[in-house]
Amino acid sequence: MRVMVDLARCQSYGQCVFAAPEIFEISGREVLEYDSAPSDEWRLHLERARAACPVQAITIGPAAGPGKDDGQPSTVRPAADSMGVLR
Amino acid sequence: MSKSTGVDSRPVSVSDVSTPRAELFARVLDPASRANPYPIYAALRSEPVSRQSDGTWVVSGFDEIAALLHDPRISSDLRNAGQPAGGQSLIMQDPPNHDRLRAAVMGRFTPEVVESLRQGVHDLVAGLLDAAGPGTRLDLVEEIAYPLPVSVICKLLGIPPQDEARFHGWADTLARTLDLDPTMSREEQDAIDHAFTELHHYLENLVADRAEHRGDDLVSGLLTGGDHGEPLRGEELLITVRLLLIAGHETTVNLITNGMLTLLRHPDILERFRHEPDLVVPMVEELVRYEPSVQFRYRAALADIEIAGTTIPRGSVVVLLLAAGSRDPGHFTDPDRFVPDRLPNEHFGFGGGIHYCIGAPLARMEAQIVLPELVRRLVNPRLTMDPPPYRPTAALRGPRHLWVEVDGVRP
Repeated sequence: MRVMVDLARCQSYGQCVFAAPEIFEISGREVLEYDSAPSDEWRLHLERARAACPVQAITIGPAAGPGKDDGQPSTVRPAADSMGVLR
Repeated sequence: MSKSTGVDSRPVSVSDVSTPRAELFARVLDPASRANPYPIYAALRSEPVSRQSDGTWVVSGFDEIAALLHDPRISSDLRNAGQPAGGQSLIMQDPPNHDRLRAAVMGRFTPEVVESLRQGVHDLVAGLLDAAGPGTRLDLVEEIAYPLPVSVICKLLGIPPQDEARFHGWADTLARTLDLDPTMSREEQDAIDHAFTELHHYLENLVADRAEHRGDDLVSGLLTGGDHGEPLRGEELLITVRLLLIAGHETTVNLITNGMLTLLRHPDILERFRHEPDLVVPMVEELVRYEPSVQFRYRAALADIEIAGTTIPRGSVVVLLLAAGSRDPGHFTDPDRFVPDRLPNEHFGFGGGIHYCIGAPLARMEAQIVLPELVRRLVNPRLTMDPPPYRPTAALRGPRHLWVEVDGVRP
């Protein structure tokens, strides 16, 4: 699965961390980090996170095409200026 | 009587246009409007920031509510609008005090803590439905929707199960304090004062006991403090625990009850849900958009605020009519329709901004567990009274009873 979070929308409400702690993490107190290619076993958790996001910033995409999905989780770290405030 | 179509054809006794716009919010508070306040909200929304004859400003448009939820000129401390001091819990406070108290709670109300309650919720739901088993007529409020969240919040706070019943009356009574209703009777006000005193004494003893004997409950956790939150003590701890207790009582009860009521009014969706239980994930969001437990919150204007072509004067009481914003046709397609898999669904069901509902993850988990089980186990459920009788509180809206007839309860 592919996950994308619109970090321009994200306000670090942290609801995704409750719904899918395997995928989302708020490190320290403010910065969202997430696994953009989580295992399919977390599909339901990911859907819970997408539904729960108060600003609907999470998009779930299909797995990347052949040769692209190497199975290695990649962690996206937002730039400092897109940090939100922990609610 | 129960209906057989998914069309919302509840009688609308409130949509007459003869009510002056400046009196509309008084009609929201009127218990006669409780079963269906949405036509009044629609009327209010035609002027998204509307001054009422008592000087209150009602904000009912999505964009205007969103803006004010994030506006530092808006205060949650209603003393800034000439109102008496409320409970002074964190929902009635502004930064920095609010932030400090919230951090103390959030440091202890973690994803791990919520997750640790999951199996207990499953077991409670199974037990409650087993107990309801032999009957063919159920009150879903008294038998399921009320006992579940109350048991969960008591477990979280470390309140012994034998004390749970005592909270029933207190929580019911104290919920009314969320309406600033000038028509509230002397008797009602006395009952509120009495409930406050009794609950206060109970919690004093609880906190004193926990200070001596720390456990793994949330009260002990707040006494100890966490990574990001300092320990809470004395009156602040007491008020915070009281808030969690009351918030944990009423809102989730109403979410579960409104959920079943809405499903029973939409048999086609109920049938789909029976075969597609994971539909509950987006459906819970749609429920808190469509029939939210928290309909509105009061705020105070700290400055003159220009918005939607008008100016809310400093010192005004402001009503953020969240339930009206969540049905704003400017933001939602077909807002008066219940669409269980609506996406995106950016609603105000849990509020927004710095006061966003702390208990939202727990409420979601409880609803996501109990609703599929109710639908799986209740055989041919029918509403016996529609609309059902409602609790008096307008801000915290939900049925007092939800009677259904069933042909049985599956194991």
